[in-house]
Amino acid sequence: MAEGRTPRGAGGDGATPVGPVPAVRPFLVTAGRVAGAGRATTGRAMPVETQVVATVAGLEALGRLSFEQHDIVAACRVPQSLAEIASRLRLHLNVVRVLAEDLRVEGHLTVHVPDSGVTHDASVLRRVIDGLRAVPDSRGVLRETD
Amino acid sequence: MRPTDPITAGAPAAQASVRPPLPVKLVVAGGFGVGKTTAVGSISEIEPLTTEAAITEVAAGVDDLSHTPSKTTTTVAMDFGCLTIDPTLKLYLFGTPGQERFGFMWDDIVEGAVGGLVIVDTRRLDDCYAAVDYFEHKQIPFAVAVNAFDGKVEHDLDEVRWALDVADGVPLLVFDARERGSVRDALLVVLEQALHRAEN
Repeated sequence: MAEGRTPRGAGGDGATPVGPVPAVRPFLVTAGRVAGAGRATTGRAMPVETQVVATVAGLEALGRLSFEQHDIVAACRVPQSLAEIASRLRLHLNVVRVLAEDLRVEGHLTVHVPDSGVTHDASVLRRVIDGLRAVPDSRGVLRETD
Repeated sequence: MRPTDPITAGAPAAQASVRPPLPVKLVVAGGFGVGKTTAVGSISEIEPLTTEAAITEVAAGVDDLSHTPSKTTTTVAMDFGCLTIDPTLKLYLFGTPGQERFGFMWDDIVEGAVGGLVIVDTRRLDDCYAAVDYFEHKQIPFAVAVNAFDGKVEHDLDEVRWALDVADGVPLLVFDARERGSVRDALLVVLEQALHRAEN
């Protein structure tokens, strides 16, 4: 079930959870790894808004995936942020980071880490501002223009 | 323009059927019960979602857990929502747990944010000090929004500015977290701050 896994770091950094029961299951799911796998490419944890999308290959492989891996790929038919996946599947954020990285490496998902230089670009910010200005005062009622 | 930077190297089989939007993140911060989730819910196109993230480090000396020193891992809930600007652009709003001892968690949420909105309850001004300090320290553009509970603000804005000791360049406004238009306008102030930063 866990082929291809390298359970590195399991308990080796003192991060082994000691108390709450809910903390046990996530570490089983990730074979003891904690968030940090997602840092391999970026040098830091993937931001919570990082977008994840199922690949065609991932959707074709759905029948062979199990448990959390299956659920993540299935949920990502529609692009999702890491935070949305964690919330909807009731998984720890750091577990989702680890599993999404696994699934990316296996070709089941694409992971789109937002480029901070792009999101902070003036042209992008202007588009967000213009889009937000168009939001009406209350739902279903068009806002008068200024 | 590529909206995002996919890291698909080493995964030749990867073939996305859908291109995701570029996510732009704002952070909504403030003390417990100050209206963060209400504000997020007022503008979000989805019901605010909650996710739990683990905190494995607790700031020494300022926490309430010193009498239970064995507890080194705790879990906090964060609420968030989103607003699609267009098919290529999506605004995400993340509420940060307000307590000071969750500093570690803030980095996890705030990384990459274009700006922050600090919500203030004038009856409990000191609850927002940690958030103000955090954004100043991280040099993240932010605005301070006094939540007018029941339409009332206990102090005038000059008093609030003095008490919080925020720089003159930091916008200070009154808003109603329950009103969509009011939240929209508060977020626009933050985005204008971010744009000003990007242009200078």
